[in-house]
Amino acid sequence: MKLQHHSLIFALAALFIAPAMTRAQNLTSADLLKPSADTWPTYHGDYSGRRHSALHQITPQNVANLSLAWAFQTRQDNEIKASPLLVDGILYFTVPDHTWAVDARSGHEVWHYDRPSIKGLHIGHRGLGMYKDLLFLTTPDCHLIALNAKDGAVRWDQVYADVDQGYWATMAPLVVRNHVIAGVSGDFDNLVGYLRSFDPETGAVQWQWNSSPPAGTPNATTGGMTWITGTYDPELNLIYWGTGNPTPVLNGATRPGDDAYTCSIVALNPDTGELVWGFVASPHDTHDWDAVEVPVLVDADFHGKPRKMLMQASRNGYFFVLDRTNGKSLLTTPYGPVNWAMGIDKLGRPIPDPAKEPAPDGRLIAPDEGGLTNFRSPSFDPKTGLFIVDAHPSYSIYFSKPADGTYGWSGADYDLWGKGVIEAIDYQTGKLRWSHYVGPDSAGAGVLTTDSGLTFTGDAFGNVLALDTATGKTLWHAATGASMENPPITYVLDGRQYVLTGSGSMLFAWRLPDTAAAPARIALKH
Amino acid sequence: MRRFRNLALLAAVIACLALATRQTPIHAASRPATVQAADDTAGAKVYADNCAICHGEQREGNLPTVPPLTGIAHQLNAGQLTAITHDGKGAMPGNPDLKGDELAALLHFLLAADESGAAPAATASPAQLAEKGATLFQQNCAFCHGRDTMGGESGPDLTQSKIVAADVNGDKIGEVVHAGRPAKKMPAFNFSNAEIETLAAYIHAQEAAARTRKGDRRGVAVADLQTGDAAAGLQYFSGAGGCARCHSATGDLAGVANRYQGLALERRMLYPEGAKSKVTVTLPGGQKLTGTLAYLDEFTVALRDAGGVYHSWQTSRVKFSVDAPVEAHVDLFGKYTDADIHNLMAYLQTLR
Repeated sequence: MKLQHHSLIFALAALFIAPAMTRAQNLTSADLLKPSADTWPTYHGDYSGRRHSALHQITPQNVANLSLAWAFQTRQDNEIKASPLLVDGILYFTVPDHTWAVDARSGHEVWHYDRPSIKGLHIGHRGLGMYKDLLFLTTPDCHLIALNAKDGAVRWDQVYADVDQGYWATMAPLVVRNHVIAGVSGDFDNLVGYLRSFDPETGAVQWQWNSSPPAGTPNATTGGMTWITGTYDPELNLIYWGTGNPTPVLNGATRPGDDAYTCSIVALNPDTGELVWGFVASPHDTHDWDAVEVPVLVDADFHGKPRKMLMQASRNGYFFVLDRTNGKSLLTTPYGPVNWAMGIDKLGRPIPDPAKEPAPDGRLIAPDEGGLTNFRSPSFDPKTGLFIVDAHPSYSIYFSKPADGTYGWSGADYDLWGKGVIEAIDYQTGKLRWSHYVGPDSAGAGVLTTDSGLTFTGDAFGNVLALDTATGKTLWHAATGASMENPPITYVLDGRQYVLTGSGSMLFAWRLPDTAAAPARIALKH
Repeated sequence: MRRFRNLALLAAVIACLALATRQTPIHAASRPATVQAADDTAGAKVYADNCAICHGEQREGNLPTVPPLTGIAHQLNAGQLTAITHDGKGAMPGNPDLKGDELAALLHFLLAADESGAAPAATASPAQLAEKGATLFQQNCAFCHGRDTMGGESGPDLTQSKIVAADVNGDKIGEVVHAGRPAKKMPAFNFSNAEIETLAAYIHAQEAAARTRKGDRRGVAVADLQTGDAAAGLQYFSGAGGCARCHSATGDLAGVANRYQGLALERRMLYPEGAKSKVTVTLPGGQKLTGTLAYLDEFTVALRDAGGVYHSWQTSRVKFSVDAPVEAHVDLFGKYTDADIHNLMAYLQTLR
């Protein structure tokens, strides 16, 4: 009897302990739908892509006290472009060929997965996807690899594109229920862009969606690479994805028409890969303006009517607001100097000016090839209704002549001038509420906003900045020695809010000093 | 834990090595056997036991992951080699237990063997070098300079580069690769001399290939930029463009077409990169300092005075005003037509 009594105690104890134990490294679909404040379980932090956090321990009033909790050195030449994941106190992030698990409390390495690859471009790596106890990694040579989150051991490894044809991979896969969705890079060759979905447990292919018709189709485009993680609306059960430029890149002669669905925003069914709608952001692009920038999902009023919206500050210089239930345009407006369009058509798409296609004697084009913004994440702040983006007003000259052919780049373009500006766009009008100069050429940092009214980003000089979201005024900065090339994230751990930023090859964790944080310990919900 | 990590690294490296051996690595096999003098036997054994598994039996390495150790005396001295042996470097595990006679023998083996003067790479043909270089190039350079070195996203066509044209075995290319070009956003790369040699071999091979491709050249030829009208260009220069407010055909622009041609002239015309700005800083006491603007962000302003001395201040503690004549070029971007640019270009080309 006594034994039974003990057993009962053990059983009861197990009931209480078990959830905490099994929770470790077991990220469920429910966790992904409603991430808790002590996690950042996807590239964007949540499915909306708003990169906005409800955390409010660090405020405009106390941010001046923000100080370094720890720094992590990758000791690699490649800059950190990844948005780290945080699950159960462990951060996971990448540079090409390297994946780390790092203790989010101390910044020390838990494990390091080093996978040297010879082939494929090593221009950057944007991070991981996670489901249950598995991390999903794309590699420069186009493998999709499932790693055990516990120790970095390889669970499965699938080749999903042919690096020898000219594909490579940099993106962080999107996990939607039991789908691991990975995209590809590669616009030096006339290749078809696609998304492919995999079974998280086995790596078996579930579906593939192609952005463009098969290479060699007469009068048709290739291209439409899918190299930035998309977003997801669970209610509509749609994933939203931006696609890259058409190929040949600067010469559109062999691909007349809109070249759908390159330079587009598409809505797909995550269970089948079926296209539900598509919006061509740059019809017949001839300037390499991928429309892969984060399709940010916002539910709010638009001109007095509640809407399910999708917003994108696109590389081509236009800010788009779409009704994401059907892809219909609500607003299209430039957010900086743009000189390549003759107007906006009735579908809300810019109308490309044929006189601004690359030519043998050159055409002055705004923005430049890097675009008015590029892959670094913007942020949407619901309180102010501001869409905050790292912008790059710029000019360049574009050339193309028959001798450049119809394969790959097919021309040449040269940047002339540019500057970096953090812009706060009022989504109702597209007008700039404020803009904050961040240096010559471009800064290229991602943006994070928090409910307390703070915007975290970086400048071209290597300063990490905390701005007042309402005004754009600088409230705090720290010089880190290299510019931020990734988007910041934030989370709470042991009652303390952290902001995590990358600079060069280092990761920095910022938090308030003990004394400043004490009055506002945070409960783990939001 | 660290040991296990090293084992994992080692396994990865071994896997690479296995891969590489199939590609007939370039190594110093043709080196005369006499180079390994009797007193190097001990060092050779230490090397074989500790280093060869990654760096190769012939010290050929496995680029780009594992550097070759042939010719290492040209890059590292005994102290640096010891430090790396003990502490490791990058993915290489350290071996602090290698000490005393063993270490001395290893160092002698690695350093003395090169005193024969045989440049390790010299035994490889240019084609073999280029093949190695191609791999390095694809990984590190191709995104900006194009997979074929003929220009890609943001990087220039290297087959038309003056630096490449002047380069011999990587001497000029190496300088740029090691230092980077921060003003043009090219990062610095920490390649070994042997790696630079392979890179240069690849770039030169592409350069040669490009020369033979008549009529199919990428890039912009001087002939492409002759569609403008010089008289209209002069009119724009003196009138609407406002160029004459700062520039003069007989002053700063005299002979400009001799100094710059084609695309270089046009880019410089549109925005002269590196143009200097002046700054005047007023200190709290009212004292004024003027000089060349050396640095300016939100928090710090700095100048170089007439003597070349650098001074800096917190922006919150001083008043300052910047005089940047180059901004006039930025103001024009929104006003030019393409014809204005082509005409201006035609006019500038008359200034010889």
